[in-house]
Amino acid sequence: MSAWYLATLLVLAGDAKKDDDSRSWTVFADKVYTSVGDALDGGLIRVQDGKIAAVVPGSSAGSGDHSLSVAAITAGLIDLSARVDGGAMSVEQSNETIANLRAFDALDRFDEDWVRQAKSGVTCVMASTYDDAVIGGLSVALKTAGADELVERVVQPDVALRASMGQQPSSRNHPASGRPNDFFARRPTTRMGVEWTLRDRCFEAAYSKNDAARAFPGSKEILSVLAGERPIAIQAWSTQDIRTAIFWKEEMEREGFGRPKLILDAAAEVWKEPGLLVRSGAAVVLPPHPLQGRGGEGSFMALDTAKILNDLGVLFAFSSHNAVAPSARLALQPGYAMRGGLPFNAALKAVTINPARMIGIESRVGSIEVGKDADLVLWSGKPFEATSRVVGVLVDGRLILDPRVKTQEQSEAK
Amino acid sequence: MLLNPIRPAALRSTLSVLALVLAAGVAVAQDRIAIKAGRIITQAGPEILNGVIVIENGRISAIGADVKVPWDVPVLDASKMTAMPGFVEAHSFRGMDRPNENVDVAPFLSVRDSIDPIAFYFEECLRYGITTINVQQGNQCVIGGQGLIVKPFGLTVEEMLVRPDAGLKLSATPKFGFSSATQAQSLRNAFGELRRHLEQLVADAKDGNDRARREALFQGRDLEGEKGKGKAMGGTTWKVDGLELVPRGEVDGKMEPLLDLVEGRVNAYIYCGRAMDVRTALEVARDNGFLARTTLIVDGSCWKAAAQIAEAGVPVVLGAPLTVIERDPITGKETETFAPTEFQKKGVRFAFSSSNSTTESLWFQAATAVANGFTREAALDAVTKNAAEFLGLGKRLGSLEVGKDGNVALFSGDPLSITATVQYVVIEGKQVYDRSKDIRVKSLMEGKIPAGTTPMGGDADAGHVHDDGCGTIGDDEHDAKKDDKDKKDEKKPADKKDEKKEEKKDDKTGDEKKGSGN
Repeated sequence: MSAWYLATLLVLAGDAKKDDDSRSWTVFADKVYTSVGDALDGGLIRVQDGKIAAVVPGSSAGSGDHSLSVAAITAGLIDLSARVDGGAMSVEQSNETIANLRAFDALDRFDEDWVRQAKSGVTCVMASTYDDAVIGGLSVALKTAGADELVERVVQPDVALRASMGQQPSSRNHPASGRPNDFFARRPTTRMGVEWTLRDRCFEAAYSKNDAARAFPGSKEILSVLAGERPIAIQAWSTQDIRTAIFWKEEMEREGFGRPKLILDAAAEVWKEPGLLVRSGAAVVLPPHPLQGRGGEGSFMALDTAKILNDLGVLFAFSSHNAVAPSARLALQPGYAMRGGLPFNAALKAVTINPARMIGIESRVGSIEVGKDADLVLWSGKPFEATSRVVGVLVDGRLILDPRVKTQEQSEAK
Repeated sequence: MLLNPIRPAALRSTLSVLALVLAAGVAVAQDRIAIKAGRIITQAGPEILNGVIVIENGRISAIGADVKVPWDVPVLDASKMTAMPGFVEAHSFRGMDRPNENVDVAPFLSVRDSIDPIAFYFEECLRYGITTINVQQGNQCVIGGQGLIVKPFGLTVEEMLVRPDAGLKLSATPKFGFSSATQAQSLRNAFGELRRHLEQLVADAKDGNDRARREALFQGRDLEGEKGKGKAMGGTTWKVDGLELVPRGEVDGKMEPLLDLVEGRVNAYIYCGRAMDVRTALEVARDNGFLARTTLIVDGSCWKAAAQIAEAGVPVVLGAPLTVIERDPITGKETETFAPTEFQKKGVRFAFSSSNSTTESLWFQAATAVANGFTREAALDAVTKNAAEFLGLGKRLGSLEVGKDGNVALFSGDPLSITATVQYVVIEGKQVYDRSKDIRVKSLMEGKIPAGTTPMGGDADAGHVHDDGCGTIGDDEHDAKKDDKDKKDEKKPADKKDEKKEEKKDDKTGDEKKGSGN
């Protein structure tokens, strides 16, 4: 055995450079979960220049320098609320509505968050501004690894507008009676003020259509959201925040401003009012499962929340929502939801094709289909089980995590 | 907690049978139970398919595929479930009023006075199949006090007790606000003081000075029987000559637990939050003769000291998370290490603990080990057999064998599968948990609260799905229900407060742990 490993090691060492550069692979798995149809037994995926060139069921493992073989493959995981943002660096202190700013400009290409995300199987994220503004900036969909320059990793720029309800946008703003004159002295300082700010800006933007004098920085972007040209992702943990977001959407429609596409982000308590949710037609991004009760802003997400959404036919996705704890990783969330009764296939879609659909990038990512980007996650066993692990990751055909190296470490341990 | 009396299979049909039984003077033993399980993971040899476990007087009296169930033994039918030995939590500081004392050297304290039998934690233990817990003081101590080994069932500490002398908690990692040097010195000094005290007692006895005797009597300490006799000092390292001249009852009760440690009568659990603390821990244990009875409670980052630990021959209890993420202070690059692998490479024996986390409970820890290349058997050993052995209960717990305690967790599927849940728990032959009757699991898992029961955490809103939705607030029916509930259980809001406090504290200690781990 050891001689065989040594030989592999030598081959690997010799080929390391070549592997790094290659964007063409043959990947085999006992099970290929495509996110669009049934799972394929013994699936072979041919990756050519970063794209999926062929998916062949009923195959057997290939051999050679550019062949990988694992237990299972899924499409790369997509996180619409991942921690890759510039954190506080993306919070503009001068204004509560910064719709004209781009989250992309706050991203740090050299942050370790990218590596952590990519190696845990998250291949594509939507990066947004930090939720300290009522209306944040424009979010960007991009890959977590691959090309050297971030701009080359962008799947789609300005893919959605960010907004936030609840306490967070006002939490660090000083009240009028507090210390004045520092740059934290923003408004609003209450939940009511947050809601008012959102509505006020949307009304002003709508009126600016006929009255150019009322235009302001960001009004153009807000108009595009009202017209439904790009979705708006609103952070809303608790029931009252979810209501605010939905009632806002309905108000905009009543006023004839357009039909906004609403994504409720971190909507932990969305299960409480299914009727309202279905009526609103909003899509839902769930925060990581807290398991022991309370999540952000004192919200409570029951373990069967995803199952309820699935039964209702609501488009939903999982996310890690800025969390870095290993138990909050995206790759674990489908498993927790399965514990709450969600079927495997629905759980798989909620981390692959569903989030892609929500922001309109499903033609490039989100499933294993010929012609799509070769973003693949290679698993040691059945995906989302606690006994399985992400052992390999390809982003745009580039091998980010090598399953062969891990195997050697493990065999050493035994 | 839920008690579910089971009807004996043989008595299910008619009352006349019952009359017959009573007439014949045969009492239906409440502590006998037979569990029919579809699959039994024994942790002692091969698995058993469609087997039966018979438990009498708290112990397993028979186990196997072709075991006959005595006619008068109640049967728990779990023929579609998987039976596992109950998980053993090798170290936990949950379930207590406060896990950390202000006094740094407090060997005289016992968690007996601090355990809250109705703490949420013990309920959670049942939900995750944990049947034995070594409750010890928190990590923020020098010498924390005496622990207890308990089962998560019972309304008093005495009822919960599995073993009273569960050993002493020590910490080699600086208490909040202390430096490593102070911590090490405080640890050494505690034993130095014990030695000085004993020497003083011997000197007094030789001088005919009865001060210690008067003090002992004044404090109401017993000087009769064994306590009235002197005994030469035991132990393997240092000794105070002439201790046989001093009645044992005269030894200051505040220091007596340390003498137990030095004389090798109890176990020591020493917390090491960083690899550098391992040296201190081993040195103190070695110098005072209790290395052989020491278990290290380690943070994952202690894998770097695995060789030292292996050389000392002591086992470790690994808390969550098992994957250690280390950040290079200069380059900022992160490396991930799966700690159990490193300990295994060096031949260190280990058990997993879920510390204070529900998200990373014992089944999850074991499953993570499998994901990282361990065999199922080794992973399950780390949450059953090994843990039991480190607690000195290897003969009673950790596997399903004849003669061992009847602690069984019944899972809906494979215990390591993410979709499997604990359906029943049997502890010492008593069925103490039934998921179908677990009210809180309904709110945790399904967000629903059965009518007429107390909502989770006293928050009436948490459990109501407004199917009509659409913005109706406070309909009458809903409010009426709420009132009813409030009446039914007035104690609940207070309980909720405690829980919240406990959770908060746990979070805090978790953060501190993280902080000191870096």
